Amino acid sequence: MDTFIQLTVDALTLGSIYALIALGYTLVYGVLKLLNFAHGDVFMVGSFIGFGVLQLLGGTSNPSVPIWLLLVLVTLAAMAGCAVLGVVIERFAYRPLRDAPRIAPLISALGVSFFLANSMQLLFGAEPRNYDTFSLSNGALYLKGLDIGNVRVSLLRIITISSAFVLMIVLWFLVNRTRTGKAMRATSFDREAAAMMGIDIDRVIVFTFVLGSALAGAAGVLFALRVPTTVSIGFIAGLKGFTAAVIGGIGSIQGAMAGGLILGFAESYTQGYISTKWSDLVVFSILIAFMIFRPQGLLGRAEIRKV
Amino acid sequence: MSEQLAQPEHGPAIGQDEWVARHGQRRSLRGGPLGTLETRLLRVPWWAWLVLFLAAMSLLPLFSSSGYVRRVGFDTVLYMLLALGLNVVVGWGGLLDLGFVAFYGIGAYAYAMLDSDKFGIHLPSLVSVPLIVALGAVVGLLLGLPSRRLSGDYLAIVTLFFLQLFQTLTTNGDNAFGHDLTGGPNGLLNIDPLHAFGHDLIVQHRGVFAVSYYYVALVFFALVFVALRLVNHSRTGRAWRSLREDPLAAEAMGMPVNWLKLMAFSFGAATAAFTGTLFAALNGSVFPLTFYFVLLIIVYTMVILGGSGSMPGVVLGALIVSPLLELLRDPGKSRVVFYLAVLGGVVVAFRFSRKLGLVAAATAAFGFVAHAVAGAVDDRWVAGEHAGGAGGALAHWVIVPSHLAGWVPVVSYVGLIAVGLFLTLVPQRIRLVLLVPTLYLAAFVWENVMLVYPEPARYIVLGVILIALMILRPNGLLGEKRVEII
Amino acid sequence: MKKAIALVFALVVAIGATAAAGAKPTAKAATAAGINCKSTLTIPFVTPVTGGAGFIGTEQVTWAKYAVKTLPSQFGLKIKLVVGDTPVEQGPAPAQALAQKYVADKSVVALLGPSTSGAVVASTKTYFQAGIVHLSPSATHTDLTIGTPGDPLLGTPAFFRDVPGDYIQGPADARFMIDKLHAKKVVIIDFQEPYSVGLADVAQKTLTAAGVSVTRLSAPNTTTDYSAYVTKVPSDADVVFFPTQKPPDIQTFGQQLIEQGKKAKLFGGDGSNDPSVFKIPGSYVSNFAPDIGGIPADAAIVAGWKKDNPGKTLGSFGPPAYGAVQILLRAIQLTCIADHGVIKDRRDVLKHMKQVRVKNFILGGAFRFSTKTNDPLNAKFYIFQIQSNGSYKLVG
Repeated sequence: MDTFIQLTVDALTLGSIYALIALGYTLVYGVLKLLNFAHGDVFMVGSFIGFGVLQLLGGTSNPSVPIWLLLVLVTLAAMAGCAVLGVVIERFAYRPLRDAPRIAPLISALGVSFFLANSMQLLFGAEPRNYDTFSLSNGALYLKGLDIGNVRVSLLRIITISSAFVLMIVLWFLVNRTRTGKAMRATSFDREAAAMMGIDIDRVIVFTFVLGSALAGAAGVLFALRVPTTVSIGFIAGLKGFTAAVIGGIGSIQGAMAGGLILGFAESYTQGYISTKWSDLVVFSILIAFMIFRPQGLLGRAEIRKV
Repeated sequence: MSEQLAQPEHGPAIGQDEWVARHGQRRSLRGGPLGTLETRLLRVPWWAWLVLFLAAMSLLPLFSSSGYVRRVGFDTVLYMLLALGLNVVVGWGGLLDLGFVAFYGIGAYAYAMLDSDKFGIHLPSLVSVPLIVALGAVVGLLLGLPSRRLSGDYLAIVTLFFLQLFQTLTTNGDNAFGHDLTGGPNGLLNIDPLHAFGHDLIVQHRGVFAVSYYYVALVFFALVFVALRLVNHSRTGRAWRSLREDPLAAEAMGMPVNWLKLMAFSFGAATAAFTGTLFAALNGSVFPLTFYFVLLIIVYTMVILGGSGSMPGVVLGALIVSPLLELLRDPGKSRVVFYLAVLGGVVVAFRFSRKLGLVAAATAAFGFVAHAVAGAVDDRWVAGEHAGGAGGALAHWVIVPSHLAGWVPVVSYVGLIAVGLFLTLVPQRIRLVLLVPTLYLAAFVWENVMLVYPEPARYIVLGVILIALMILRPNGLLGEKRVEII
Repeated sequence: MKKAIALVFALVVAIGATAAAGAKPTAKAATAAGINCKSTLTIPFVTPVTGGAGFIGTEQVTWAKYAVKTLPSQFGLKIKLVVGDTPVEQGPAPAQALAQKYVADKSVVALLGPSTSGAVVASTKTYFQAGIVHLSPSATHTDLTIGTPGDPLLGTPAFFRDVPGDYIQGPADARFMIDKLHAKKVVIIDFQEPYSVGLADVAQKTLTAAGVSVTRLSAPNTTTDYSAYVTKVPSDADVVFFPTQKPPDIQTFGQQLIEQGKKAKLFGGDGSNDPSVFKIPGSYVSNFAPDIGGIPADAAIVAGWKKDNPGKTLGSFGPPAYGAVQILLRAIQLTCIADHGVIKDRRDVLKHMKQVRVKNFILGGAFRFSTKTNDPLNAKFYIFQIQSNGSYKLVG
């Protein structure tokens, strides 16, 4: 039972981060119908921005501000930095290709992903970076927390999971309850029609990239609070995030959240009960099963081909 | 461009595309010896070009007895084979296959299992290689099956995951239900060289790469090239083309769209597996990480740079990218490549006009002044080791400090990207002025940042090539056709 | 048909460029008669400078550079150091291409590295056939120097190392767990790369032979979150043995052990010997050298290195690289004496390797190779315990 609870907590931690990444994919795919391969690397850059700001504020062993403020500042900085990065990528690598054949932006995105990962390696090296949150007030984030049975859900996990969910709720409001969000949904439904209705498509797309990339930045920090980050995590993070988005139904916001959690649970339980080695195989099987039986994903709508 | 075309407008012929008409017109206008030569060359059949090409390639070992040059030549031929294979999937089939190098790995691993002490099997190459090609084709079909009704994006993610899965399977295959199948992260070792009729094809003699493999690779290349060309000019090839141009119309004409996609997928996979056998036989060992994302990007860059859809194009792509990557590995040669590339870029941008001279002179002057100023302020700023170049002038031109503060690489590199991107947004006149310091900054970054870590630097170059190509010339060097993913 | 013309043109250019790139003889002194000892000799260093294990190569290169700067004049030699990068992410294949490059270069008389065991396996045959000595300062995989019926020899007679192999480290670590920590239940986690798997295997063998119950887990090399592994550690496990070449990973693992309230002690191999990163109090680390900073004979060397590399901390991978340069230089010197100033064949350096003796070796004591294998004689491993202030204390 303890193992089960522990694995469930693991799954929620992992899944909420996957969900945040998946949201970025799904938002961009919604409005641009573009598989943004570089998204995983934006996530990676986010975790590094967080690391840099953390060092500027004195590091974890000797922070110059209270812990809560430290965490908030680090997360906000990563979100802002990633938002800028996302907009730059969109402006220079995708916008010129908006009317090109669909393979063009995909290849360009591959190029951006490769460029970002290697640029980061060039500048900051490939060694893993540890936020070392353990040093914050003598390990309080690890040692304090909620006890369920014999399992301690540490403060850090509570922070990670709850921040992820708060961000998702904020996103849901932005998309469903604001004018810009409405414009986004309209664009995603039919870009041409939306343009004819007087929606500024460029603005909507920039806004989408700001949202998606900021979420990736936040996910990067939440991820790196617990485990070391390296310049090469972008590939795996992107792969998992996109798989989550596809499973949940690409283009659907709730779907991305559900997909992320499904992936988190699948990985965690496989590692806990079956084998630590084969979790990729299980996730791949789930992906293939969805491709065969429900290609539109869990909550996506089936695509109607217009002739 | 439009001024050049403002010749007496004869309206395009009825039923003919306007651009095609103009193109034809320009072509027919070309006269003189060049024009004659062109018409002559046009009549040379494709196989003559192939023979000529192979002859040129087979001369390479005569230039140098160095095992390294032969090895790079061999790798280049392998890359040409891979590019041809990927071209079938991406260029002809219009499918975005991101798991392509996994098939290469499957071929290499299959050869390693069928021809090594691992399981004590030593099949003659004439048996194992065809077997592995068939295996590659079948696995390709199987992977294509679940994705057959899906659009390009979904196919991309399924194949990308397949690549990841290949990694998982090979690294964990040392303990698959208690059996050691793949050697895990230690890889498979002591693989037989190619052997037929009881003779081994020796890989290296006294540590120097034997030239025979280079020729075997060329023969492989010729075989694949001819086979793929025949396919492309068959019914299937024509069907692929129509499918790529307009899948909907193709379907309406009664073409078996799904089957055609699977065929393209399978052909690509088989070619990759074929290449894999050669790789394994030569290296004598295979490891999982060889067949991963980096290799995928390299092969994609070759196909895109050369022009996807065009067979000579992708071969050319491989011929450029493979030696380029090798040159960038070495700081000395990397520097030469950089300055030549900048020079070439500026010449292409301005042609041989007055602006070119202006920019070149200004950049040179800017550098000498900057260097002199920096040297006057602090000796250490220009005291770094510099290999010189251009008759030693370069050492007095570009600033190479003896010690870089930690922030300098970050600021200069990010600054260079920012300024470079900004240049694309401003009007021509300002761009011309800003170009001078930008070029100088680029030289500074190359000398001080990129050359320090050649490994990421050369991949950054690949990334930039991919992005820039897509925006400036998506059809690559030789590709003509518009490629649409299905 | 402009296409075809462009193609042919580009071909000529490309071939010309390739030929020019490789054909240029780098050693002007290299003649058919041999290599003049007075000329500048090249020693390449094949190591991962970039990629996930880049910190190993980066540290090693600083020490090798320092050694090449200070030592050759003592041996009457002129040496140029070139670095060949083999990032672990691309597997050992790049090492093969590099091997061809260095074999073709006639000024190369000996080689440092390859630093990672996988790269050694991939390239040692080529070096052996060309007669090039390669001395690794960090490849510790047992099978590189010792072949047993079940595990064939992976190295060649031209491969040497100046650090002891895993067959010493693994059992040493295991014995320490059994004798000093009285471990009954041990969890071993490998990182799915040659170093980690090799070390985990030998340690497991010793532990099982002593009747200790061992649980073996295996983490994909892309793993960063070890939560699931920590969950699988039984609450009554005494020790978790986690050999990795990425210190931050073992630090994370330790933090997550504490997070989940597991009592097991963490034990790392030489790859995690990094006091600035791995600092979970009460954990153990083994290493092939005692604390270099504490050896009086090394004080001048350490001070000189620190002056050249301001701000860098003293790690465990670099000093053996310094020692390796020293050994190679001595071997080359012996060859030069025997061959009367001209090295006739690179193979001659190989013949003199085992005659090398170093009195005050950087890793402590005197250095010589074993007569049976290409390993250092009488090398041993040292075990440290991490104190509450983060310092490493020698305990065994």
